[in-house]
Amino acid sequence: MNAELSELASHCIRCGFCLESCPTFLVTGEETESPRGRIYLARGSLEGRLDWRQAAPHLDACLGCRGCETACPSGVQYGQIVELAREEIAARRAAPGLRLLLGMLTRPGVLRRLGALGRRLPGARMPRILGLLFSNEPPVAGLPVAQWSGMLPPLDETLLMPITGQAFILDGCAMGSLFPRVQEASARLLRRVGLAPKRLASGCCGALHAHSGYVAQGAAMARRVLARLPENDVLVATAAGCGSWLKEQAHGKRRVLDLSELLHENGLGEALKKAPGYWAVATYHDACHLAHAQGIRSQPRELITAIPGLTLLPMPESDLCCGSGGISNLTHPSQAVALQTRKLENAQATGASLLIQGNPGCHLWLAPAAKARGLTVLHTAEALEAAFIGLEWFCDGAKQTAEAERT
Amino acid sequence: MLNMEAPRPTEGFFARELGALLAPDRIRVGAAAARAYECDAYTVDRAEPWAIALPESTEEVAVLVRWCVRHGVPFTPRGAGTGLSGGAMAARGGIIVSTKRMTQILEVDLPNRRILAQAGIANKRLSDAVAAAGLHFAPDPSSQTVSTLGGNIAENSGGPHTLKYGVTAQHILGLTLVDPTGEVVHLGGDATGGPGLDFVGLVVGAEGTLGIVTEAWVKLTPLPEAVHTLLASFAEIDQATASVAEIVGSGILPAALEMMDEGIMRAVSQAFRLSYPEGARALLLIECDGAPEASAKEAAEAERICRAHRALAVEIAEDEAARQRLWIARKKGIGAMGRLAPSIVTHDGVIPRSKLPEMLRFVYEVAEQHRLLVANIFHAGDGNLHPCFGFDDRDPEQIRQVVEAGEKILRKCVELGGSLSGEHGVGVEKSELMSLMFSPDDLCLQADAKRIFNEGDLCNPCKVFPSQKGCIEHRARWRGVAW
Repeated sequence: MNAELSELASHCIRCGFCLESCPTFLVTGEETESPRGRIYLARGSLEGRLDWRQAAPHLDACLGCRGCETACPSGVQYGQIVELAREEIAARRAAPGLRLLLGMLTRPGVLRRLGALGRRLPGARMPRILGLLFSNEPPVAGLPVAQWSGMLPPLDETLLMPITGQAFILDGCAMGSLFPRVQEASARLLRRVGLAPKRLASGCCGALHAHSGYVAQGAAMARRVLARLPENDVLVATAAGCGSWLKEQAHGKRRVLDLSELLHENGLGEALKKAPGYWAVATYHDACHLAHAQGIRSQPRELITAIPGLTLLPMPESDLCCGSGGISNLTHPSQAVALQTRKLENAQATGASLLIQGNPGCHLWLAPAAKARGLTVLHTAEALEAAFIGLEWFCDGAKQTAEAERT
Repeated sequence: MLNMEAPRPTEGFFARELGALLAPDRIRVGAAAARAYECDAYTVDRAEPWAIALPESTEEVAVLVRWCVRHGVPFTPRGAGTGLSGGAMAARGGIIVSTKRMTQILEVDLPNRRILAQAGIANKRLSDAVAAAGLHFAPDPSSQTVSTLGGNIAENSGGPHTLKYGVTAQHILGLTLVDPTGEVVHLGGDATGGPGLDFVGLVVGAEGTLGIVTEAWVKLTPLPEAVHTLLASFAEIDQATASVAEIVGSGILPAALEMMDEGIMRAVSQAFRLSYPEGARALLLIECDGAPEASAKEAAEAERICRAHRALAVEIAEDEAARQRLWIARKKGIGAMGRLAPSIVTHDGVIPRSKLPEMLRFVYEVAEQHRLLVANIFHAGDGNLHPCFGFDDRDPEQIRQVVEAGEKILRKCVELGGSLSGEHGVGVEKSELMSLMFSPDDLCLQADAKRIFNEGDLCNPCKVFPSQKGCIEHRARWRGVAW
């Protein structure tokens, strides 16, 4: 028997304090779709009272947001429990669809091609066959559309503070290929706090694999990424899921930090006060793997609030999952749409026009639907860099502006 | 009519019949669902339901109940399943009727300070919805972020602040009930104090045995203008109880007056790395609220009394963050026990405040006899004690010890002139102990009152009353089931 899983699961006292923090429970109202229920089913399967196959659909539906860990008074490490339970399930079930999807979505080359395809086919959906591998519902997630990657205006080095250190930005899979503008903004922000930005073209860190139950494979991928980082150096994640996974996997002298953490630590707040800023009303969505997995809530908010002219309004249920949940919007479409709608309704109710967040999964999932409601989704790095060079560089007109400038 | 002793109907039967009656996605059957719903937060007793129904309206609940009555199938209402006496357990199998798809606020009436909501909404969401208007729903059980309005009504839930604001019963103006025959009944009115017999009062606290509450009008209370919170630590439990007696005797009515023992301090300091003064054996959390000047004066007086009883330290919250910190031991104490033991059971008894030192000594003795980890939280203001035992629910012997220890403690509460339950309800946990408090005549009278609503024995069977027909043999099946 899996002793580690048994030990972790035994800490749940079934008080139920996790229920209202669980997105799948909020949508279904079902005990089997709650953290407490899933732990109970995993324990039951582990101890031979239930078949893993019977527990599997309920563990599959979990978004892995770890909102329950924040709510739990007993310190139950739910994220680890789900990973280990999914590992038990994966060992008993061939899931070619899931493997194929993971393989596709975590290869920068494939992603780039998908992204190119997505740009050419506006409103394109993920191929129907992919969705049908997991559920009987047609897929609702769009093909990932890569950001425009034109040049931002050059930095005036003479106005910047001297370089005192360096940091490596993780390009990974999705960020490097789909969000070049976020990566570029992140590099510029590092430079603004006196850190020389380096890029770590490392390939996928394995977070999606681990969260889907392929823990050993995920760990091996994380080791490969971390091995490329020089010792005593800092790796900066611009994707919440990668940051939290690599933090768990990093040992010794290699530090992994989320971008907002590092910028906050290094005094970007001060620099922002002197920036031109822009007029906007914004609200902030807590990516699950920032708020719940890493406890990062105040740093991005404090930085965003420091942008001159910007008003940041609190959003109800700001730390409730938006439904993206790694690849959950592909495997559980209707659940994902219900949560997406709830998130955008909460955002709209604040009266904000900018929805700022720090994770590519949320970004891809929320942006198209948000646009239809008149909301622009930005990565924290984009919102912050916009304070220095103007919001127009990160909104829809950015491309035209840049092209006009070039010609 | 299905016979109780006949083999239970197949899952397919329920899925087909009930699915056609409501909608297929409202019905769940199968091994995983049955297992997940076999108990609430009281895990000592477990019984699997045959099917789970998730109706979305009062009408759907009524249709379900009528179907159950027609087929002789027992049904048990369930909210969030945070109950601590097994009230939401399907004691004789049958159907669990979950209110967790009935979570809407139906009407907010600020001028009249009331709100109409469905039974499945979490308690805290009611307060959140009206916080901007400076109002809240006062009952605040520790589980308030998740426990439902319907569950609070069933158990007549209390909480730390009920010392001043009253328990749930004082905050329910009217309700919609699907009675055990499947008829929809509206009880109470729009305002407090209607004429005639108080049927709302009868339903609140009936633990779901008189029908299924589907909607309720609740009273909203203004948020206090000022809150003062202190945490005093004492070397002796007697000093803490003497402080409580003097505070209450001096005419102060604190919003909350809570005591925690060494066991709680140990669990909380391990879990949250908080430290308490060395040699502290009791903590007293005091909160005074109301008009700024009056509440400050009350808090100062409470502080003086604690110091007069040789408190080791009195910490005063300067801001909201500090206040939250002082509340940690109280709010997270029981949860923190989960870090020390695989399973816990939280008991609930009432004793006269003056008997607390004697009672605590007894609890420690019992815990030692049965080799159980123990911690105590005490709503000192109203004499409600929560001893919490930690144990391993995979070991049948430990479960036996826990059940025995719990019974001893409850017997002692009654012996000292107290009660079997303060706020967790009787459920399946304590039904057989009811005769300790009530004579056969008393119990008959209660059963008669129950009969006003309930001719059959299908609605939440085997709860509250001892030795019900058809429950004795079932009890042997679910009592103290180990993993």
